[in-house]
Amino acid sequence: MKENSRAKEAFSKALRSLATMTPMLLAVIGLVGLFQAFVSPEMLRTLFSGTPLLDTFIGTVIGGISIGQPVISYIIGGELLGEGISLYAVTAFILAWVTLGIIQLPLEASLFGKRFTVIRNLLSFVFAMLIGFATALTLQGLS
Amino acid sequence: MKKAPAPALKCNGCILLAVTLLLYGAAALFAPDTTLAAAEESLGILMKILPILLVVFFLTALLNTFLKPKSIAKHLGEGSRLHGWFIALFGGILSHGPGYVWYPMLADLRSQGARDGLIVAFFYARAIKLPWLPVMISYFGIGFTLVLSFYILLGAWLQGLIAERMLRVKS
Repeated sequence: MKENSRAKEAFSKALRSLATMTPMLLAVIGLVGLFQAFVSPEMLRTLFSGTPLLDTFIGTVIGGISIGQPVISYIIGGELLGEGISLYAVTAFILAWVTLGIIQLPLEASLFGKRFTVIRNLLSFVFAMLIGFATALTLQGLS
Repeated sequence: MKKAPAPALKCNGCILLAVTLLLYGAAALFAPDTTLAAAEESLGILMKILPILLVVFFLTALLNTFLKPKSIAKHLGEGSRLHGWFIALFGGILSHGPGYVWYPMLADLRSQGARDGLIVAFFYARAIKLPWLPVMISYFGIGFTLVLSFYILLGAWLQGLIAERMLRVKS
């Protein structure tokens, strides 16, 4: 009996939390659609400079702003590599694509608090660049 | 005895939703076809994440029903050690769909005592996308995929440790 009322309460709590985040979730999904329709991979490609260090930073920024299925970042990353963009930058771009999300920041902040959100995203930004370099250097060392 | 007034309904996302709708309206004026494609894209995403959202909803409710705050504290709270990190990293790798779908469940676990560092590690470990690994291998090779996956896990753990320190210091 106690378990029953506990389950009821748990389901209603989960439903309330889902209902609270629905408008924000719909907004995020709407913005993702707009981004994917209006920003093409070609537009993203033109933003790189050709300097490895600067490109790694640019890759992290572009990856952080971009959204969509991770597989899209692999395809764009593969094309960027083919055009001579460094592996540092491409790795940082792929990582930032899945770990950072400017569009979902308001949703994250509303559920976890501003401080948590800022710290988590700043760390993800720095680590995208660090891991980009570490991965490329390790592969160089192994080959 | 007077009944306590019902809490006011909060709509944190209503402003962002209104802004998004305005953006769609403005975009439709200049590029109606692309805007229609954007709306179709959004609808497609919504349809794709609905099942995951349902799974997360049931998981949240089940965790709330069967997992008592005491055991959350034991497995994911301050007292948790190596197995807490293991749960966070492994859970992150296994979690499917976009990150924002998992926000309510993680926020709920956090409010019940789960460590901030473990939540941060979970988020970062999600960068390893199991279903997409074959595609990554075909584009970048197995060596790249293995090395990157190793650094993602290491980075997730380190970020969890750093975030925990930073959040603890400030609070």
